[in-house]
Amino acid sequence: MTLGSLTVKNIGHNWLRTMLTIVGTGIAILSFVMIRTTLAAWEQGVENAAQDRLSTIHRVTFVMPMPKRYFDEFNGQRGRIPGVKAATYINWFGAKHPTRESEFFANLAVDSATFFDVYNEMSVPADRLEAWRANPQGAIIGEALAKQFGWKVGDEVTLVGTIYPGDWKFKIEGIYVATKKSVDRAQFILHWKYVNETLPEGRKDQIGWIASTIESASQAATVSQAIDAKFEDQEIQTRTMSERALNMEFLGGASAILRALDVVSLVILGIMMLILGNTIAMGVRERTHEYGVLLALGFRPKHIATFVLGEGITIGLLGGGVGLLMAYPLIEQGMGRWLEENMGAYFPYFSIPTSVALVAMGLAAALAALAAVIPAYNASKLDVIDALRRLG
Amino acid sequence: MSEASSQESDETGGAKAESKPKPPAVAKQAKAIIECKGITRSFWRGKERLDVLDGLDLEIPEGSFEALMGPSGSGKTTLLNLIAGLDRPTAGKLVVAGTEVSAMGDAALAHWRSQTIGFVFQHFNLIPVLTALENVELPLLLTKLPSSERKKRAQIALRVVGLEDRMHHRPQQLSGGQEQRVGIARAIVHDPKIIVADEPTGELDRKSAGEVLNLLEKLNREFDKTILMVTHDPVAAERASVLRRLDKGKLL
Repeated sequence: MTLGSLTVKNIGHNWLRTMLTIVGTGIAILSFVMIRTTLAAWEQGVENAAQDRLSTIHRVTFVMPMPKRYFDEFNGQRGRIPGVKAATYINWFGAKHPTRESEFFANLAVDSATFFDVYNEMSVPADRLEAWRANPQGAIIGEALAKQFGWKVGDEVTLVGTIYPGDWKFKIEGIYVATKKSVDRAQFILHWKYVNETLPEGRKDQIGWIASTIESASQAATVSQAIDAKFEDQEIQTRTMSERALNMEFLGGASAILRALDVVSLVILGIMMLILGNTIAMGVRERTHEYGVLLALGFRPKHIATFVLGEGITIGLLGGGVGLLMAYPLIEQGMGRWLEENMGAYFPYFSIPTSVALVAMGLAAALAALAAVIPAYNASKLDVIDALRRLG
Repeated sequence: MSEASSQESDETGGAKAESKPKPPAVAKQAKAIIECKGITRSFWRGKERLDVLDGLDLEIPEGSFEALMGPSGSGKTTLLNLIAGLDRPTAGKLVVAGTEVSAMGDAALAHWRSQTIGFVFQHFNLIPVLTALENVELPLLLTKLPSSERKKRAQIALRVVGLEDRMHHRPQQLSGGQEQRVGIARAIVHDPKIIVADEPTGELDRKSAGEVLNLLEKLNREFDKTILMVTHDPVAAERASVLRRLDKGKLL
């Protein structure tokens, strides 16, 4: 036995209370790790967004449409912008599965001729791509979406429109595979023309945004300015930014929620610290007589304070360990997998960063030590005779 | 020893001791290991001063086994606490094992206690999460002995008290008598000169009490330990070689 092992053994005085405190600390650490991992994954998603791909949207907001003719100024039909390699246009279709409405997935009405040239990290077999292009009601879906709804090539599916009301029938012509983790693998890609032809005159020939690849990521600012300048004098002005900036803007609202959750995680850690402090103080109070015995045997107040601090840190570290043991399967296997598969565009790498795990363990130990400071101080100030008089 | 004790008591302020035939180990000793001169210990209850010990003089020779009796509030435990270095006198001079403990600082006193005094408590006071062996090893954690040596000494101490077969048992797995014997092993493991025992049989049945007293006698006789025992039990007091009576802060 050593002074260190004596400290560790001391946590066994009241196993039920110690275990409950450790589990409570573990849950607090789990919530902290989950929130921090979400923030880190989001930041990484933004980092991994293509920098050599620009998005041109309505200057006011990306939910307002632009005329399709703007696209013609990109692709050479009416002009060409220096630095732009390829371009395509997209509309948010916003339909839902008829019976599983709560299961969100992105569905995009796209220009079938150019979309897969610009988004070349979405790989579709050549024959399937050709079949899709030939069928106006054809759809290409992501592998994750196919798995989610059990769809396969050749299936006829119906979606219920929300922005474009009605039942929309499609035939699955192909399944794309993502070659980069930053690609959302649960998208539903349909023909823009199919939608456009059904719309009344006033709503025809509208597009959501134009995506364009450029020669070099370093030219992003220059090319963006050139694009916006081109439409400066038209009835609708544009705002062009890199895909990364667009992702950040799109997730701006969510990030406010995440930041709020971050604060909540800190509040949870604060509550954890108070609970730990109370548990340790109760232990010290109950064991005053025992500390009196140790003092009588020749242990010094500094030893007693170290025992109390050591117990606090041990409980904190065990709680941190339990929290991480719960977090890894839950995040790496459950929540993280689901998010990577279904929201890969925003959370391509949803995994606990080592730094988050280390910070969590460090905080668990540090906060536990902080919680133990007052009980440790009080224990070190015990008078040996008073302590011996108190019944254990 | 009895004559020596009586003589010393008379010379040190009239403290009377009832002596029995002396054990051989004590007979050789003449030097006092505990010397109290004019010891006063006062406590304040509001504005009222309470002298629990009042100018007490006492000398205890090295190697003796003495019992201290007296009614509740007579100052027995206060005197024991002073001699054990747990407390300091309000006035007077206290020299124990050649050290003036009344003049020592807290840290030095704690260190001195860890080397000089062995404690036997009424309620055994074993740490419940530790085994008998670990409880006995506790005082040795304050030494620089290597772990293997500490363990070896704790095993020897448990053998002395006849509990080598219970060394891995926790206190709750032991009887009261066995717990007190572990307490005695803890008191002797660091080879102190003096053992102070505060009501060591107070929690025990007659048979266990007899075993504990046999053990204290053995430590005094065979290991030359000076033992000072506070007790209310006349049977226990009879086992000591010298019996001192205290009342209202003074030795009778």
